Amino acid sequence: MIPIRVFLLVLLIAAPSLASAQQAMNYEDASALLGASCGKDIDDNCRGVNLDPARLKECFIRNGDSISAKCRDDYPRAFNAIQGRITARITLAKLCNWELNHLCGTVRQDPVKGLQCLLAATKSVTPNCNKAIIAAGFR
Amino acid sequence: MRLTGKASGGVALLAGALLALAVPMSPMRAQTAAPTGSLLDQLVGPETESDIDLAALRQQAAQRIKSRADLAPLKRPPIAPELLKLPRYDFDVVFDPDSSMIRPQSYGTIGRIADALSDPKLRPYVYLVVGHTDANGKRDPNLALSQKRADSIRDVLVGTFKIAPKRLQAIGLGEEQLQDSAHPTSAANLGAQIVAIGTVPQAPATDAPAAAKTPAAAAKKKAKH
Repeated sequence: MIPIRVFLLVLLIAAPSLASAQQAMNYEDASALLGASCGKDIDDNCRGVNLDPARLKECFIRNGDSISAKCRDDYPRAFNAIQGRITARITLAKLCNWELNHLCGTVRQDPVKGLQCLLAATKSVTPNCNKAIIAAGFR
Repeated sequence: MRLTGKASGGVALLAGALLALAVPMSPMRAQTAAPTGSLLDQLVGPETESDIDLAALRQQAAQRIKSRADLAPLKRPPIAPELLKLPRYDFDVVFDPDSSMIRPQSYGTIGRIADALSDPKLRPYVYLVVGHTDANGKRDPNLALSQKRADSIRDVLVGTFKIAPKRLQAIGLGEEQLQDSAHPTSAANLGAQIVAIGTVPQAPATDAPAAAKTPAAAAKKKAKH
């Protein structure tokens, strides 16, 4: 029984990280989450602020006591998902530099063709590059 | 059947592990990597650089209003019929009244367009955000409001979702290009559009992974704002 319990315990500890290795929210879901959870808070406290995470976050913090618990819970997730995907896309070239050099040499300087080549070379990319592609939402 | 303490502990641990695997997925839902295929297919652009002169189109719209031409909305021809022939996606965005502030219930829609425009399949193309109004109110303010709203959508796509600015332009056509011309005052005319107008001019983009540092001069293109 002990080995099984140990296995289950490891599974229990590892599960959240396994799940988070899944792809993060896309822009649509992150934005929809923000709108659904914080719509009333934005109406009541942040009129005149457009869909701009930096300005909305500043508004939510400034009006901390008036912001609903649901919004307080969800807006960091939404903003992190948007920012995380943007960052992942910016760093993709760096994390897949080897692949771009070795698999996409002729087109790597072309931002569109370089990316398309990288995504087409699915089976030849390193695990780190693969993770970066997933984090960027391209797979 | 009663479980012994040891067995029930194992069952609880198993249930906990299964729950832990399932729970983190539920609030976010399992995500797809790319927006739906139909939206992407709809927005694949023409394989030529755009020859639409936005400055001239704006002037044409303003001039038509000023000269009081085509006064009757029911008989008013579209000011930019060439846009109707290009690949486009029509969508509804709710704004605050007489304002360019996007209402929170439309955030998801803007995010969906951002997902599509940042997809590798659509990266070679330049897009035009087109704002419209219905035929309620005066034509001139309607034209101005639709421009502000189109600019607002573009600003969010560029500022929040980092779509390369050179891939996105915006124009407001007010009530000069009614989407439901049989019902000029219908809310159906309030929708916005994103139109694929051509390919990105040959210069390195900033929102792709292989972007190399290039001289600023290379990034200059014939702007048609």
